[in-house]
Amino acid sequence: MPPLISAALDNPATYFSWGWLQISVGNLIVILVMFVLFILALVLPFPGGHDDGGDGS
Amino acid sequence: MSKTKKVDPAAAPWQGPWRKYDILKEGVIALIVVALLSVGLAGVFSSPDEKALTFQGWATSAPDNFFATTVGELAGTTESAGYGPPYNEGGDGVSVGPLNMQKLMGVRNPVNPADDFVITPLSSSQQSQETVDALKAWKDASADQQAAWATAFDDAVQATADEEGVLDLTKVEEGDYGPVPVLAKALTDMATSGAYDGVLLAQDPNGFYQMDHTKQILFMGDGSYLDDFGTVQNLQGNTWGMMNETGSYPGQAWLWLYSFWYQLPVFNAPDDADPASMTAQLSGSADALIFYIMGLLTILLVLLPFIPGVRSIPKWIPLHKLIWRDYYRSIRG
Repeated sequence: MPPLISAALDNPATYFSWGWLQISVGNLIVILVMFVLFILALVLPFPGGHDDGGDGS
Repeated sequence: MSKTKKVDPAAAPWQGPWRKYDILKEGVIALIVVALLSVGLAGVFSSPDEKALTFQGWATSAPDNFFATTVGELAGTTESAGYGPPYNEGGDGVSVGPLNMQKLMGVRNPVNPADDFVITPLSSSQQSQETVDALKAWKDASADQQAAWATAFDDAVQATADEEGVLDLTKVEEGDYGPVPVLAKALTDMATSGAYDGVLLAQDPNGFYQMDHTKQILFMGDGSYLDDFGTVQNLQGNTWGMMNETGSYPGQAWLWLYSFWYQLPVFNAPDDADPASMTAQLSGSADALIFYIMGLLTILLVLLPFIPGVRSIPKWIPLHKLIWRDYYRSIRG
């Protein structure tokens, strides 16, 4: 499986263009993943639950 | 006399709840997760594996361009020859107003295109008697004579270009070009055979590992081969190339802001723009100007907490209250 993926990635990239803006599909995916991770980091609760009362005081 | 003292709320002892927290444990977990992801993803996706460009590939696929570039190196008309510091005194380099960092740094990595790219490589290997004679004629000639031969031949070669810039070396007019045609043909033959690849690396007297590819990149950059490859792979600066990688791999997306400036028309003048125009002049110094713009923006980022208005953005967009919503809910309630 890996050789197939890397062979496909060695092919020329597809680019999206909007006027003067141009971005490759690879970069767009990475940016969207970063954006999704940022949103998840904002909205997901901290691990360990809501122990605002404190357990070490 | 009573003295009133202002109490800094940030210096007051913490009155809220406490909890144990193991930062080493979190760091180790993060390290393991990132290491596993890196190794796993590298195993699945591999890495860009574009074959290296070679002089043999250039001379084989575009022999006329290689030949003409060699003539340009001898004539001193190539970009390398006129680059200026840190390679030579052939140009002034980019400047912003009176500030010219290239000149200030001086020639730190001397490169003489005619000698380093053409004469020395030809002299370092066995050549035909015709080439040996041509090398002797070149070395015995004065600098003025060398320049006269090479410039005349360079002009004659460039004069064969059609409207699209494609050369036709069969149409070069007769003239007094001295040994230049023989030298350029010999170097083209040497490159076509593959003997030229590696010769420039071997010139580095200090390099045990020979990792300095400066000369190869300069020579290759003077011709069309490297430039055409950059265009095919979308790596040109005026098409966001700084962000891109060869093939379909994601590139350096974090360089979007640096790359952005190169897309602006003031830093992106067409090749046929009037050299005296403001746009052409700004484009000519784009690398230096954008370097300073990014430096200024970086300083502003560092000084963010001290800039009125900008430092108040968290008040207007209180993302921190979303992250620590439990705490803010508790103090509200």
